[in-house]
Amino acid sequence: MDKEKLVNEAKAVFSREDVACLIGYGKDSIGFRVSPIFIRTRDEADQLFFSPLCSLSLVNYLTLEKGVLLEGNKETGGEKIAIVARGCDSRALIQLFAERGIPREQVVILGVPCRGTIDLKKIEGKFPDARNCTEVTEAEGMYYIRFDNESHEVPKEELLADHCKHCAFPNPLVYDVLLEDLVDSKGAAYSDIEEMEKMALEERHEYWKDKFARCLRCYACRNACPLCYCDDCILERVSPQWVNRSVNLSENLMFHLARSYHLAGRCAGCGECERVCPVNLPLMLLNRKLEKDIKNIFEYTAGSNLDDKPLFASFNPKDPNDFIF
Amino acid sequence: MKLGVYICHCGVNIKANVNVAKLTKFAEQLPRVRVARDYLYMCSEPGQQLIKKDIEEHGLDRVVVAACSPRMHEITFRKALRSAGLNPHCLEIANIREQCSWVHEDRMKATQKAQKLLAAAVSKAALLEPLEEKEVEVTPAALVVGGGIAGIQAALDIADTGYKVYLVEKEPSIGGHMIQLDKTFPTLDCSACILTPKMADVGNHPNIELFSYSEVVAVKGFVGNFEVTIKKKPRYIDETKCNACGQCAQYCSIEVPDSFNLNLSKRKCIYIPFPQSVPACYVIDPDHCRYLLTRDCTQCLEVCKQGTNAIDFTQKEELVEVKVGTIVIATGYDLFDVTTKPEYGYHLYDNVITGLEFERLSNASGPTTGEIIINGKKPKDVVFIQCVGSRDKTVGNEYCSRVCCMYTAKQAHLVREKLPQATITVFYMDVRAFGKGFEEFYDRVKQEGVKYRRGNPSEVYRRGDRLVVKAEDTLQGELVEVEADLVVLASGIIPNKQTAQIASLLKLSQSPDRFLLEAHPKLRPVDSASDGIFLAGCCQGPKDIPDSVAQASAAAAKSLIPLSTGKVIIQALTSFVQESDCRGCGFCVEACPFDAIELREVKRGRRVLEVASVNEVLCKGCGVCASVCLSGAIQQKSFADRQILSMVAALGEEYA
Repeated sequence: MDKEKLVNEAKAVFSREDVACLIGYGKDSIGFRVSPIFIRTRDEADQLFFSPLCSLSLVNYLTLEKGVLLEGNKETGGEKIAIVARGCDSRALIQLFAERGIPREQVVILGVPCRGTIDLKKIEGKFPDARNCTEVTEAEGMYYIRFDNESHEVPKEELLADHCKHCAFPNPLVYDVLLEDLVDSKGAAYSDIEEMEKMALEERHEYWKDKFARCLRCYACRNACPLCYCDDCILERVSPQWVNRSVNLSENLMFHLARSYHLAGRCAGCGECERVCPVNLPLMLLNRKLEKDIKNIFEYTAGSNLDDKPLFASFNPKDPNDFIF
Repeated sequence: MKLGVYICHCGVNIKANVNVAKLTKFAEQLPRVRVARDYLYMCSEPGQQLIKKDIEEHGLDRVVVAACSPRMHEITFRKALRSAGLNPHCLEIANIREQCSWVHEDRMKATQKAQKLLAAAVSKAALLEPLEEKEVEVTPAALVVGGGIAGIQAALDIADTGYKVYLVEKEPSIGGHMIQLDKTFPTLDCSACILTPKMADVGNHPNIELFSYSEVVAVKGFVGNFEVTIKKKPRYIDETKCNACGQCAQYCSIEVPDSFNLNLSKRKCIYIPFPQSVPACYVIDPDHCRYLLTRDCTQCLEVCKQGTNAIDFTQKEELVEVKVGTIVIATGYDLFDVTTKPEYGYHLYDNVITGLEFERLSNASGPTTGEIIINGKKPKDVVFIQCVGSRDKTVGNEYCSRVCCMYTAKQAHLVREKLPQATITVFYMDVRAFGKGFEEFYDRVKQEGVKYRRGNPSEVYRRGDRLVVKAEDTLQGELVEVEADLVVLASGIIPNKQTAQIASLLKLSQSPDRFLLEAHPKLRPVDSASDGIFLAGCCQGPKDIPDSVAQASAAAAKSLIPLSTGKVIIQALTSFVQESDCRGCGFCVEACPFDAIELREVKRGRRVLEVASVNEVLCKGCGVCASVCLSGAIQQKSFADRQILSMVAALGEEYA
């Protein structure tokens, strides 16, 4: 990504629009880490950058920054928020617009076509001692990585985040400014889910038992999710208490089922839950299984169309109802 | 909290498949249950007495009845609770008949299921809250939409009782389709002769305010307190001044097809639909008037100035607001469009006409002053084809239009009377002569030499200067071709083309045949599903005149109930909003079929937020809002999540 173009477009946004804040990516001081940065004046825009390391989604920060909007706040005035958004982020934004979390006209979207991002855990595992990353670029299936005084070439497949491998929406679906030419999309593919579906029920149960037994119940997956924004989360409610506070397999299972089901027809596929999980639970498998089923049952893909109403707030007489009997 | 449980045998309906004694023992040990009893018929007076006595003696707080569906006797038991001094909403019904004894054969398993259903009801009952039923005042006036025979009858009945009626008719005169008809079956009285006295009554009635040439454009509110916006289209003539002298029309130079005569004749651009129009006031056709289009003709204005000076080209569309307590919908029907059956050649041949066109042709006040003349000649051979657009899946109308058999018989009779030498053939599928005097009339027509042939014609085509009707006579099993110089298509009845619009305006439902849907096909045939809105005439389904009049009077009587009692009770099972959970997204506002929810600004700390707010008077407790709410903030009283979940938990238990 051409940094100059990103910075210039960001500055242009400040000149053109009444923007309170621009949320983008900035370099972190340690290793391969990238930080969300909050640009409040035109001049600060020079700090912005974008590279394959930008794997975190900024949409959650939008709801944090403007969180009050989610409750129909009437005091926000005309000030907008600008945000750098990849394909998956744009889906999360569309879903937020559809759920009336944030009005579309309050957000200025700088769209970035995305070729996939690097899984931080993978690159840190490969180069555990890297201190000061200077640059990561991508060309023809290889990542060119420079840190400290070293430079390396690594095949893209080795470092690519898992959820990016199946990405069907690399291009932003909604934007005000497009920062690069659109990239080719592979379309929806669910080979990972099909593999899982081939497992016998017992086998699948064992697989998840093994995974969920490791869960610490740190709630990071929920907190990082751009679409988990309820003030009063049912996973913390006491009456009725769906999930007990104790950390054991039974409660963990309930926690994860409730979490993923609350994203049914809503998950934008950004992979934040997986990215932040300290014990590497493959949470996107659950989310994507639901996405696949919903696509089959309701011909609906969350965040793929600005005109769609939220799946569970709409009724279509053609919806299958064979589950009733 | 003290609960009483009452288990009904329903004769043997429940007892045969459910071990009632065991169920009673089971109920006794459920939490909070103070007393459990079983009885032969709990809905009977002694059964209700059992409950009342226990409420008084044991001081029960909640009552659970295990019996039939709440649709049957919920109200009965609520009244029993009320009379014993307990809030009627402290009742929960376990349906162990329709949902258990009637549908299971294994007595042991049915008993187990009854135990679960009862345990669920008991656990919910403990969470029930007393609810208050509110009373609201009723505006002592009614709106009648549609000025055909049904609307006229309903308006007169309500007005005669002493209440104000606003009658809205979209055409320049009331009268509807009935005023276009010639004779009425089976008694052959002249349609206009029996209708015009009623129209005059409407025009003169002190309690009826007639809005002709007007449409209802908005309806807000609820039973007892509707606010209706009526759009008055400009007539360009002052109704209070026009004396219908007709001078203007004599001087008007524009002639256009006369829609009252189904375009079989011409009328002037300034016109009165028919001589007995109510109101007796001319109207200017804005699509053709030269003054209104190009301002280059003032003929009518000049002549009227010398008379009553009623013409007023400055008239504008006007919106009028009225308040009413009840509404009667009588928007009537349209004729099936026979051009959608091109095989009958209506669009090709002048001598293929519809039944309604025949009515005008045969009518003494029609374009031929009642002589049956087509293309300048009296027809020698006349063919009637029945069921055009009725009982016909190919055009999407499966229903019977209920009038065509008899109006065809009547028209055949009129042809026989006016053209004694003509041959008359009627093609029919079945003759449905079900009304009073219908069969006798049909028999009489057959005696008059009208030939009934059973068969549905496949085609009408021209041979030389004559028409040929081709059909299979299914009684004789042969193909027949009948020559004709007049073919009359008994076009069926379809809902008024604006029915969907009316339905959305008033939140009414349509049945699959697109007519307006009554609240219950047998027990509430004139009520709509919306309280305070009633249906009369063909808007609800095809009807003949006596049925329309009967339904109109019924709708009037029903609409008079709230008007005369002066108050309506608002049901208590409404939805409510847990404001702290509400995001103000407004999906509930859009989903609510009754416009009962709106977003309202509230202060929370220093923030100003929008949250949903339910108008309890409008809410019907359908629960749609709760199903679309993404954050579970909106719930229904007596069906809140915690109440339902307690039932689910109880159903999940295993009981011995």
